[in-house]
Amino acid sequence: MKEIRIADRGFRAIMLRSLVQIVRRPVYWTGFFIFPLFMFLFLTTMLEKGLPTRVPAAIVDRDGTSLSREITQNLGGMQMVDLKYTPNSFSEARHLMQKGEIYGYFLIPENFKADLLAGRKPVITFYTNMTYFVPASMLFKTFKATAVYTKAGIVMEVVQSAGVDAESLSSMMMPVNIAARPIGNPQLNYGIYIANSFVPCLLQLMIFLMTAFSLGQELKYGTSRRLMQMADGSIFKALAGKLLPQTVIWWVIVFFMTAWLYRYSHYPMHGSWGWMLLSEFMFVPACQGFALFVVCVLPNLRLSLSVCALIGILSFSIAAFSFPVPSMYPAMGIFSYIVPIRYNFLIYIDQALNGIDVAYSRMWFVAYIIFMLLPFTLLWRLKRDMNNPVYVP
Amino acid sequence: MFAVYCREFKMVTHDVGIILFFMFLPLAYPIIYSLIYNPELVKDVSMVVVDHDRTALSRELVRKMDACDQAHVIGYATDLGDARRAIDSHKAYAILEIPEGFARKVGRNEASNAVMYCEMSLLLRYRGFLVASTNVMQEFSSELMTENIDRIAPLAETIATGDLLPVHNVSMGNIRNGFDSFIMPGVLILILQQCIVLAVGMAGGAQRESMRLTGYCSDNLAPSVFLTMVAQMLCYLTILVIPIIFMLHYVPLIFRFPMAGDALEIFAFILPMIFASFGLGFAFQSVVTERETVFVLWVATSLVFLLLSGLIWPMYDMLPVWRWLAGICPSTWGVEGFVKMNANGASLSQVSGPYLNLWILAVVWWVLGYCSRRWVVRPALMKLSSK
Repeated sequence: MKEIRIADRGFRAIMLRSLVQIVRRPVYWTGFFIFPLFMFLFLTTMLEKGLPTRVPAAIVDRDGTSLSREITQNLGGMQMVDLKYTPNSFSEARHLMQKGEIYGYFLIPENFKADLLAGRKPVITFYTNMTYFVPASMLFKTFKATAVYTKAGIVMEVVQSAGVDAESLSSMMMPVNIAARPIGNPQLNYGIYIANSFVPCLLQLMIFLMTAFSLGQELKYGTSRRLMQMADGSIFKALAGKLLPQTVIWWVIVFFMTAWLYRYSHYPMHGSWGWMLLSEFMFVPACQGFALFVVCVLPNLRLSLSVCALIGILSFSIAAFSFPVPSMYPAMGIFSYIVPIRYNFLIYIDQALNGIDVAYSRMWFVAYIIFMLLPFTLLWRLKRDMNNPVYVP
Repeated sequence: MFAVYCREFKMVTHDVGIILFFMFLPLAYPIIYSLIYNPELVKDVSMVVVDHDRTALSRELVRKMDACDQAHVIGYATDLGDARRAIDSHKAYAILEIPEGFARKVGRNEASNAVMYCEMSLLLRYRGFLVASTNVMQEFSSELMTENIDRIAPLAETIATGDLLPVHNVSMGNIRNGFDSFIMPGVLILILQQCIVLAVGMAGGAQRESMRLTGYCSDNLAPSVFLTMVAQMLCYLTILVIPIIFMLHYVPLIFRFPMAGDALEIFAFILPMIFASFGLGFAFQSVVTERETVFVLWVATSLVFLLLSGLIWPMYDMLPVWRWLAGICPSTWGVEGFVKMNANGASLSQVSGPYLNLWILAVVWWVLGYCSRRWVVRPALMKLSSK
């Protein structure tokens, strides 16, 4: 960054200088606006449907009787599945799966009907390609349901033929029923899991990067000395003037994000908007605090950016958006609590998804404050480095 | 060309930033990621029970639920409010409520319903509870049904003993249904692509910077832009050979991911993806004016590539615009082919579609990379050197 015209000292001058820097370089526009906005659009449109429907599948009918055709019809009528192929053999079906044409197949063995009527217990088998978790799980559910219905129908027929009245049969088939009630997300919308965790996590990454980048630039090009002079040697004044405009930009973006997710995309908001917004607003300085801490520890543009990028990308996994912390190795699980996004996610679950009393999430808010205070422990170091910037290429 | 190769080699080995990308990224990242998800399955998730029935049958139901791999009953709550508090304070993730008269209904040959309320913060937990409850339900029902049939129609007994129509399910590819085996093979390919693009981009930025600082420029040595690009790629590939073998072969071996494919065929498949990634990296150089901007401009794209790869959300169900965007990313086809070969044991001929696409992409990105080097990067360097 070259010399900037405004030479007066003081807080306002620093803020202005910081704003001019942002306006001048397209890199900042990309980081502040283009990436986050693209991501909002990308994730919400991609996952609009909530769940993939009509999963391509196949049925291998080696029996070819009226019964097996009935099963094929039943399966084809299910909402989740699209019976694209009817291969003649197991290996043909496997071949289709390996090529990626289908995500699973249902196999009716030879002599199925005859074996069934004779009580020789034929086996129905279905295969799902679990390397594609989501569509394969949908397929699994559909296949299983079809198999269970088929079985129930056949048992009913057999028992009825033995002289039992049809009335008591249905309860006999399923005497015990456990109904699952998914609270907060009854449609099992997959989109809310991805969007509500990935979008703030991307913001965390961008806040980390932009904070480290803008401060590192000062150190790299030696302009930090000038910044310190403008702030009359006060590191607080310098950093506040430098970072506050960024905080405001991020606040606008998180406000937009909250509106985008919970209002326009209609993701569940069962609690209070106030607490959720407070969480998002506190999330921004918490992330900045974290990045600032990294810069204090490693006052070098490249190193601090590398570390921020590393942690920012790892957060998508370590913050446990899909794989729960108690199931991780304890030595890995503890790291989930060192990133601000973890608390953002926990508050989102408590306040937006479950809508419970805010008292249950109070500790997560405290965590935000700790992140904000974190850099103050090392500011003296940054002050020294800002006064004597050294760039190691 | 050889001179550029040597010069580039010297430059790279002296650049800690690029070495970090070439060494740390492909060597450490896969291990960290795999370790996070390595337990594969979500087991023993806590749940509480509200038993309004308090009979032998209801206790058996709870016992069976607790015996499932997926669920763990931490205790009984007196009423739903009490159970709700356990959920709210994050001690349990599901409530099993057994209504009064549960056993009586079964005795009267009526359907008896219990309800399981699940907290939905994570889909994997819900999935576990669902599997557990379905298994318990079926086991319970078939036991009771056999009893009933024996009682009502002794004639049918001969037919209905045990399971009349056994249903088996087989998980292909990822046979343990594990999360690590599902996500990691794709992530490995993404790491490879991102590692190449970031390193090439950073090298481009470093070139412009060192030009500014020292006036040295590797482009001056070779007259041909294309040959310089080839020399640079060969130089980086020399460094990357070991990390690539490690990532594609040894990481799956260490963490016991599915490995059904033929190693040589897999490497043959990945080769065009590596070329395409280099092309993408060269094209990316056009916007990198400074070494560190690669972080700001490229790191966040990993997420986009992951979602576009079709691993999380199937390709056939994407909007056309995203499918089109996915089509021009080397990683999309790389992930698709690699996963199919590695997990499903597909041969190279079975993934000929993605393979062909990768070669086309390799050519397209190289042409774009050439354009960026020829008309953007080189003039910028010339301008700097003439200053």
